[in-house]
Amino acid sequence: MRKQERRAWICLLLAFVLVAGVGLFGYRFVTKGGEWATFYGNSQIYTDGAINRGTVTDRYGEELLTCTPDGFDYSDDYETRVSTVHAVGDPKGNVSTGAITTFRSQLIGYDIVNGTYDTTANGKKIALTIDANANRTAYEALAGRTGAVGVYNWKTGEIVCMVSTPAFDPADEPDTEAEDGEESSIFFNNFLSGLLTPGSTFKLITSAAVIDNMPDRDSFTFDCDGVNQLGERDDTKLTDIHAHGEVDFREALAQSCNGAFGALTRQVGAETMEEYAEKTGLTKPVDVNGIETAAGSFDFPDDNDVKLSWAGIGQADDLVNPCAMMVYMGAIANGGEAVQPSLIKSATFIKEISGGRRLGRYLDEDTAAELKSMMKNNVVENYGESNFEGMDMYAKSGTAEAGGTRPDAWFVGFTDDENAPYAFVVWVKGGGFGSEVAAPIAARVIRTLGETSD
Amino acid sequence: MCTFSAYNHYDWDDYRKEAKVIEKILEQILNFSAEHPDLAVNITTVFRWIFVALAAYILLVAIVSLLSTRATPEIWGYYLIDGGGNYPITHWENVIGRSRSADINVPLAPMSHNHALLIRRDEDKWMIRDLGSKNGTLVNGYKLDPEKRYLISPGDVIETGGIKATITPPSLEETRNNRYMRRLDKEPVAPWKILLAITVFQMMTIVQLVLSMGSEMTAQALLSIVLLCAVMWAYVMFFHAMGSRGFEMEMIAFFLSTINLAVTASSDPGSCMKEFIALMIGLALLIFMVFYMRDLGRTKKIKNTLIVLSVILLLINLIFGTAKYGATNWIKVGSISLQPSEIVKLAFILIGAGALEELYDKKNTLIYAVFSLFCLGCLAMMSDFGTALIFFATYLVVSFLRSGDFSRFVLTGVAAGAMGLIVLKFKPYIASRFDAWGHVWEPQFMDDLGYQQTRTMSFGAGGGLLGLGAGNGSLKYVGASNTDLVFGFVMEEWGFIIAVLLVLCIATLSIFAVMHIVAGRSTFYTILACSAATMFLVQTMLNVFGAIDLFPLTGVTFPFVSTGGTSLMTSWAMLAYFKAADMRRNAGLSLGRED
Repeated sequence: MRKQERRAWICLLLAFVLVAGVGLFGYRFVTKGGEWATFYGNSQIYTDGAINRGTVTDRYGEELLTCTPDGFDYSDDYETRVSTVHAVGDPKGNVSTGAITTFRSQLIGYDIVNGTYDTTANGKKIALTIDANANRTAYEALAGRTGAVGVYNWKTGEIVCMVSTPAFDPADEPDTEAEDGEESSIFFNNFLSGLLTPGSTFKLITSAAVIDNMPDRDSFTFDCDGVNQLGERDDTKLTDIHAHGEVDFREALAQSCNGAFGALTRQVGAETMEEYAEKTGLTKPVDVNGIETAAGSFDFPDDNDVKLSWAGIGQADDLVNPCAMMVYMGAIANGGEAVQPSLIKSATFIKEISGGRRLGRYLDEDTAAELKSMMKNNVVENYGESNFEGMDMYAKSGTAEAGGTRPDAWFVGFTDDENAPYAFVVWVKGGGFGSEVAAPIAARVIRTLGETSD
Repeated sequence: MCTFSAYNHYDWDDYRKEAKVIEKILEQILNFSAEHPDLAVNITTVFRWIFVALAAYILLVAIVSLLSTRATPEIWGYYLIDGGGNYPITHWENVIGRSRSADINVPLAPMSHNHALLIRRDEDKWMIRDLGSKNGTLVNGYKLDPEKRYLISPGDVIETGGIKATITPPSLEETRNNRYMRRLDKEPVAPWKILLAITVFQMMTIVQLVLSMGSEMTAQALLSIVLLCAVMWAYVMFFHAMGSRGFEMEMIAFFLSTINLAVTASSDPGSCMKEFIALMIGLALLIFMVFYMRDLGRTKKIKNTLIVLSVILLLINLIFGTAKYGATNWIKVGSISLQPSEIVKLAFILIGAGALEELYDKKNTLIYAVFSLFCLGCLAMMSDFGTALIFFATYLVVSFLRSGDFSRFVLTGVAAGAMGLIVLKFKPYIASRFDAWGHVWEPQFMDDLGYQQTRTMSFGAGGGLLGLGAGNGSLKYVGASNTDLVFGFVMEEWGFIIAVLLVLCIATLSIFAVMHIVAGRSTFYTILACSAATMFLVQTMLNVFGAIDLFPLTGVTFPFVSTGGTSLMTSWAMLAYFKAADMRRNAGLSLGRED
């Protein structure tokens, strides 16, 4: 009989396979349960394919959307609906960055212990970090142009304003189908998913590389003749709008001199430029409560001085994501340390004091301080402090040649007030000059943010 | 037995009286929930925690008791070799030989590896049979014919290749000692606390079902749960009074059956009574089989009859069968429809088992192989590939237990795999299930071939760890949810913890079967328990893994839990094979015993 006894291990093997299989399923249950439970096939929480519970509000409790078994109930105000649609989402799920899609399990109130069990069937209320009022202002300021406005608190990481245009009214959704990555689409969130030519705003990255790698930068001068011919041929020049004359490093940034920054880029070299594009977080996606932003890309050739120069001033093949740019601005403001942006308001008091989750050090403290002072200088020398009354403004404009008939207008930077520590990015497609078009939008939105407070 | 025969013959008036009481209770609960809707909702919230706690208590106590109590092997005598060597005989069936795995291992050259069989009959009587050894076996100088077995007594001289030996019975003192040791064996856990816990669980289930389903719930469905409770108490009290002590397996089965009735009440209240009656037949079969199988000779003799009956049953199915979900595995007799293949499972296990002696008999093995092939052929013709897979896996394990030939085990598996591929070629609808396998969440499958699996996982995950409460689920509106997808059904209504506990129960039964064969009386019981375990395990695997996309969906039932009369009845009857192998003191069913 002993043989038969010994052979019985095979039954244990089967039992092991059964338990192991259930174990594997248990692992999936823990990691993917929320995704499964919120699948549209779950008729407990979906009516006709639409989620039937949960409320989305702005940071001050203004209701943006209530999901009911009878359908989606949006805000009564048209402008609120249009300006927040990329943050809140649409009934058909075309906006991939909307709260309906990305924070579905929080809306339903799924948790692993209770699943979708909910005695009220009202779901949960989630407060977004955005200020609906600021969103409306930003939408108005964009005035029908394609663009993006993003503002976040660089201490806590809360995104207080996020608008992307063109937008649409989710209560009266158009029948067009969303196409993947189609940037002109009304469903596309330029702020989180866009990849754009940064133009002169990229000089803030080049400047960081210069500060860290050129100890003799104070003796740097460049004589700008407005053409700045590099080689023999006609297409090898770094034109400026007008001749800046002799400029030093500080002035070069304030005047946004392409010739001078081309020269600086060549001195720093391709390898260092690549390193700084990475170091400043532009080549990696940013995680915003599980939404991944698009990752920027650059090409710094070490055998083509002309192309390298153009890449150093934010042209050539340079592509950045506005959100990543905003986080970099926040890092400069925060002494070099970047704070992760978030869209869901968490009630924890600790976060208010200790700040948001750190993404790591982008710049040395000294580097950040020098950049900060140069950005102040930009405002004083070029943009005019009077345009930002009541704000301690630090900024850089950009006017990017992105193939359109008119250049794209950029304005990026931050304010450093105890109650208004905001980093921002404004982009207006075909808007024209950054300092003329994008800067007033930034000023208007930040002013609005000051109107209401927590 | 009289306790439950009352239920078999209960007359209609009695039933109506009981139904009236239940209806009153139902009405009261409904009134209560109408008057205090907020409170009613909160009852479910609290109940969910209590259900999980009770289930964990019931099953863990039963599982721990099953796995922690072991039987001490008894010494039946000594194999005493002339000139040195004294081997204790601890089994009823023993191989004498040079082989290290021989039960009486005599490492001397003249012995063959497997020289002879020594089988204990009654007190002091032994049977011996030569296994075709090289040097032959002589008893008292008489050369044994390898085809025959011989009755011998202690003191008879057994000569194996010139080595003389005798069997001596253990001394009286030793026997007393042994009995004493066995008394010291840890007793199985007393059933009363578990019984009480199950009863509370059942009563709470009734309240929960009414709260969630309201007037959709029928008095009949609730009555079935009350009757189950009554039968459970009657069964345990009767056999406890008769001296039986080990009830863990029945406790597990009663608990699983409670979930079965709750699932049925939630999805199809009208079928609850049918489930209950099927369970009663299963329970009766269990008791009958345990008593019948006590006599090994009698059990061995019935094999041929069972083969004939199985063949007839399968042929009837082939000719008169009706299709359900693609497989033609149902027959209808009047208003009753049943699955013959489920019943054949019971016979299949018994036919595959064999006493040690039979395992050396080529003809016996051949009959089993031919019968298996016939069953597989019939199941394939019915397109019931899930059940075919269960039969085949059981066949593989049983032949491995019998022969120990691992290479043949692998070869047969590979050959069957190749056959399976051929079948897939001719049955495109099965092949298409393989396409979706592992990919059910992909857009082209999730609402099509993966529909059932994605719903199982989605609704199941929606239940969380604690479930939404019996009757509150929505998976029930998906086809076959209370049979093929029952794992997801339980996950949604009862929660992930209870669903996993159900699987652990099945795993425990098989671990138990393996642990307790050490003291087994005959390989016959060993093989019975192991092959019943294999069947339960494979069936559970196919059911659970199919529903959650770890395996293609084959459409088989979860033992005890899936709705379906034939399946529930067979599950209960199958328990007999585990009970028969339970060698713990007083663990089997007894009608008064001498020990």
